Amino acid sequence: MQFLTVVIRRSLYAFLLLLAVIVFNYTLLSMVPGDIAETIAGESGGASAELMAEIRRSYGLDQPFYVQLFGYVGRVLQGDLGSSYYFNVPVLDLILGRLGPTLLLVITALLLAIFTGTLFGVIAAQRPNGIFSHFITILALIGFSAPVFWTAFLLIILFVSMVQIMPLSGLADPLTESGTWQWYLDVAHHLILPVVSLSSIYLAQYSRLARASMMDILGSDYIRTARAKGLGQRVIIYKHALRNAVIPVITIAGLQFSHIFSGAVVIETVFSWPGLGTLAFESILRGDTPTIMGILFFSAFVVIVFNLLTDLAYRIVDPRIRHSGTA
Amino acid sequence: MSDAKNTTPSNGSPGDVDEIFVEHPFRQFVVMYMRNYAAVAGLFVFVLIVGAALFAPLILDLDPFEMVDAPLLRPGEGGHLLGTDNLGRDLFVAIIYGARVTMAVGGAAAGITLVIGLTIGAMAGYYRGWVDEVLMRITEFFQVLPPLLLAMVLVALFSPTLETVAIAIGVVSWTGVARLARAEFLRLREQEFVKAARSIGARDRRIIWLVIMPNALPPLIVNAALTVGIAILFEAALSFLGLSDPNVMSWGKLIGDNRDYLLDAPWTITFPGVAIFLTVLSMSLIGDGLTDAFNPKLRER
Amino acid sequence: MNRFFRMAAGGAALLAATAMSVPMAQAEPKQGGTLTMIYRIIAGHFNATIASGTPTGIPATQMFAALIRYDDQWRPHPYLAESWKIADDGLSVQVNLRKNAVFHDGHPITSEDVAFSIETIKANHPFKTMYAPVTKVTTPDKYTAIIHLSAPHPAIELAMSSQLGVIIPKHIYGEGNIRKNPRNSQNLVGSGPFKLKEFKPGEYIIMERFEDFFLEGRPYLDRIVFKKMSESTSRIIALETGKADISPFASDPQELTRLKKSKHLTLTPDGYSAIGPLNWLAFNTTRKPFDDKRVRQAIGYAMNKELMIKILYSGFAKRATGPIHPGSAFYSSDVNNYAYDMAKAKALLDAAGLKPDADGIRFKTTLNFIPGGAVWKRWSEITKAQLKKIGIDVTLKASSDFRSWIKTVAGHDFDMTLDSVFNWGDPVIGVHRTYQSTNIRKGVPWHNTQQFRNADVDAIMEKAGLENDLAKRKALYAQMQKMVVEEAPVIYINESPYHTIYNHDRVGNPPTDSIWGTSSPMDNVYIKQ
Repeated sequence: MQFLTVVIRRSLYAFLLLLAVIVFNYTLLSMVPGDIAETIAGESGGASAELMAEIRRSYGLDQPFYVQLFGYVGRVLQGDLGSSYYFNVPVLDLILGRLGPTLLLVITALLLAIFTGTLFGVIAAQRPNGIFSHFITILALIGFSAPVFWTAFLLIILFVSMVQIMPLSGLADPLTESGTWQWYLDVAHHLILPVVSLSSIYLAQYSRLARASMMDILGSDYIRTARAKGLGQRVIIYKHALRNAVIPVITIAGLQFSHIFSGAVVIETVFSWPGLGTLAFESILRGDTPTIMGILFFSAFVVIVFNLLTDLAYRIVDPRIRHSGTA
Repeated sequence: MSDAKNTTPSNGSPGDVDEIFVEHPFRQFVVMYMRNYAAVAGLFVFVLIVGAALFAPLILDLDPFEMVDAPLLRPGEGGHLLGTDNLGRDLFVAIIYGARVTMAVGGAAAGITLVIGLTIGAMAGYYRGWVDEVLMRITEFFQVLPPLLLAMVLVALFSPTLETVAIAIGVVSWTGVARLARAEFLRLREQEFVKAARSIGARDRRIIWLVIMPNALPPLIVNAALTVGIAILFEAALSFLGLSDPNVMSWGKLIGDNRDYLLDAPWTITFPGVAIFLTVLSMSLIGDGLTDAFNPKLRER
Repeated sequence: MNRFFRMAAGGAALLAATAMSVPMAQAEPKQGGTLTMIYRIIAGHFNATIASGTPTGIPATQMFAALIRYDDQWRPHPYLAESWKIADDGLSVQVNLRKNAVFHDGHPITSEDVAFSIETIKANHPFKTMYAPVTKVTTPDKYTAIIHLSAPHPAIELAMSSQLGVIIPKHIYGEGNIRKNPRNSQNLVGSGPFKLKEFKPGEYIIMERFEDFFLEGRPYLDRIVFKKMSESTSRIIALETGKADISPFASDPQELTRLKKSKHLTLTPDGYSAIGPLNWLAFNTTRKPFDDKRVRQAIGYAMNKELMIKILYSGFAKRATGPIHPGSAFYSSDVNNYAYDMAKAKALLDAAGLKPDADGIRFKTTLNFIPGGAVWKRWSEITKAQLKKIGIDVTLKASSDFRSWIKTVAGHDFDMTLDSVFNWGDPVIGVHRTYQSTNIRKGVPWHNTQQFRNADVDAIMEKAGLENDLAKRKALYAQMQKMVVEEAPVIYINESPYHTIYNHDRVGNPPTDSIWGTSSPMDNVYIKQ
């Protein structure tokens, strides 16, 4: 079956890509000046030369580069991302521990942006020169042009400092017992500002995109036919056109998945959100190489798998793509 | 981030412009641009900022790092138009001087983005086959790594200087341009005028850069305007995270330096933010104007 | 509180009893409650035998007990040791342990554990001078340990206190490479008043009252939540809203300025004299032109230290004048204080042959600074601006992460750098290392990175390190301070303005009653209500 061949080929590509990512990360990060001996010595407030040599030996840093590289690739393929220099716990545990908050933030922001964006776009498309349409255009421009951390700061000034209705930072109040309904409520409360800031960039883009594709569709033949058949405007928009307006938005959202991870780094830093972004940033400052490599690998892994799945999903949904070669 | 924006310009084909305005393409181009008031305003703001960046330092001759007064004065206090920052430096002077650095890094990074993106995209689209396959795999490779994170690692690796920051931004953000250029080349290489050029024995290099490129440029120029904007945002984000050259004043650095004073002195963050915002906004509006000017049909719709 | 310590120099039972009976200005301590402590960083582990640093030290001193504890007047008191005695020749210390002390897993704390801990510290701790004279630790019986020294070592008592001398269980940490022992951070077995309940790396530590702690009735607190808050703004809000009770090592000026206005908060600089944090500008004295004493001195005069302190720390920090922290018993103010004097600075540079060129520039150089903290960056920018005024063109060199800064400085690959170095109680532990010509060890952090060589300074420090007579020792260090300041391998700017901020409506007996501040056991802290 042709579909199966495609699946196998795409999976193989994905695997090779992942391998390239591992090799690239390792090569890049082994060029960083300083190593774990400096990290430990720095954290400990000093160390003797013998101790530093011993630390290097115990982490295998005295071996030639290619031996270390092969060792690393082999371990990663077995699911072992190594141990954090700083926390001395497996990097994978560290990442999985931080994954929840990041996914919560990123997915909520993405869904909010897709939903509101499409809604705005669809409404605006019905009156291309109406006030709402202009509002969308302006919103899109603002969303694109404002640095995301600045938007976040303005929101903080507004809702934390002036009107004190929002918490400043963190996932939840540290004293709330986790797992209780108060805790979930608290998390939701803490989530609002980061999500709004993060989705602001994408909301703007998506509403513009949805508006454009909606206008395209409303002018197309099959909608004209639908109109001619006497279907009401509402039915046409929400039943026929909407589906087609959402597809490009979701496609772009999928393509931007890695960008959203990037945005999360900044937003998490601003709001001290305990996710992968803050972990990545702090690991860079601490020179915790295994953790940085782990996060780079992990986010690439997520994006690759995500792309692979969407690619295959499209092939199933849309038979036209199935027969054209690589996308 | 540019992907969503790209969809609009790449829809139009540059050939259409010639059909309608055969006589004075450039004049018509200007006329079309001028009809978009927002784009004109954007151009005005942009010229103003570039002008300030270029000439203000010559006229003012101040040191943006000079501590002139008490820290965190409010706007207007002590004769400082926008107040002072956490070290008592004049915020207005810092923003004026910051324009230089921000524009320079933004411009340089966008330049690197375009050079890498155009080269790879053009080669892939023109040669197709295994060249395309290899180059697109490389593009994919850079697409799956989170750009900001990779840029942070690169800057951390080579220590934060203006050059490193510009190169890091360029290295992580060229993929969009490459895809766009590839699409244009794939389309254009089958056009009659390219076939004609090939039939008279023109070399590949000539066809790529002198025959196809000029025709592929319109959407790429629009993209370039946006790329500068995105590069500026990138620089701001890196500076905000503290990964910037401490020897030069940039807007992102101002925000990053003053972020601890967010609650007590919000203006130290608001004003540099406004500067970034206006600059990127102007680039964005200019991009819109260019789209209109290149595709008059789109506007009429 | 001081009163309490002075009276309690006896045994454990007496100690607890006195605390109860002494009439205090505040209410009686009572059992229960959770203390929420916030700090800008969280350590990766809490085994203080292998690491120094305050992020490790604060939780470590709650979970591990040391032999001795100190009050705020530099007087030692019994802690895990019921008593101890330094031999008359100064060559051994006999330690008598409490007989009721157990580890968190119920195993009794014995002299074997003491010997093991001291040996571990000697082998692994970065402060080599701390236990360097220790030749061996013998254990005549279960509750007696004798520390043998090769030479008199006046710093030994301090080395047996707080985070420098924590006692860890041999049966847990004695196997394998201690650096990689997973129980340094999880399932930890300690000897102190609190045991580790939960540690979420990078986020928080929850410590709970240890029921069988060897001091009767202690600790008062049921729980200590130690939470990381890296953003200054977050810490401000947490303290203002009462979500956090205490924040040690607060030094951000806007944080201090703002929180000072809060009625329910107390800000105190007490409790940092043992840490003895000094900020300075260091020179690579082997590089031109810094090999010339006059150039170093000129820079000392050109830096307006008072202005820097005012701008950087909003006046919260105090001037540092020499290599020993003003909180130390050995501090001497009789040194050249390099009062801001541009003319003098220029004259010294002229004399060193560094004349300004057509652009007014005398020479170009670079300045490194510690990455991460906003204060260091600000500091470097101010220094750059100030040195520009006497014709020194400084390029700032940012290190993107901490270890590359360490590598640069420890590798002697710098012209000037900003640095923050702690005294760690006794000059032998934290001061000598910076100036001894025998401690120039390339690649090792916080050695004599300035590569300063002065035979007279070496000799005087060696003598002071062996002197058991306090007055004589003080005189030697006074002389040493004067000489080092004159030679100017570093320019002293300020004491780090560390403050402990706490909610006085809730926190009783705040941990500011020791030279070790929050890096000492908080068994006496209680929650009012």
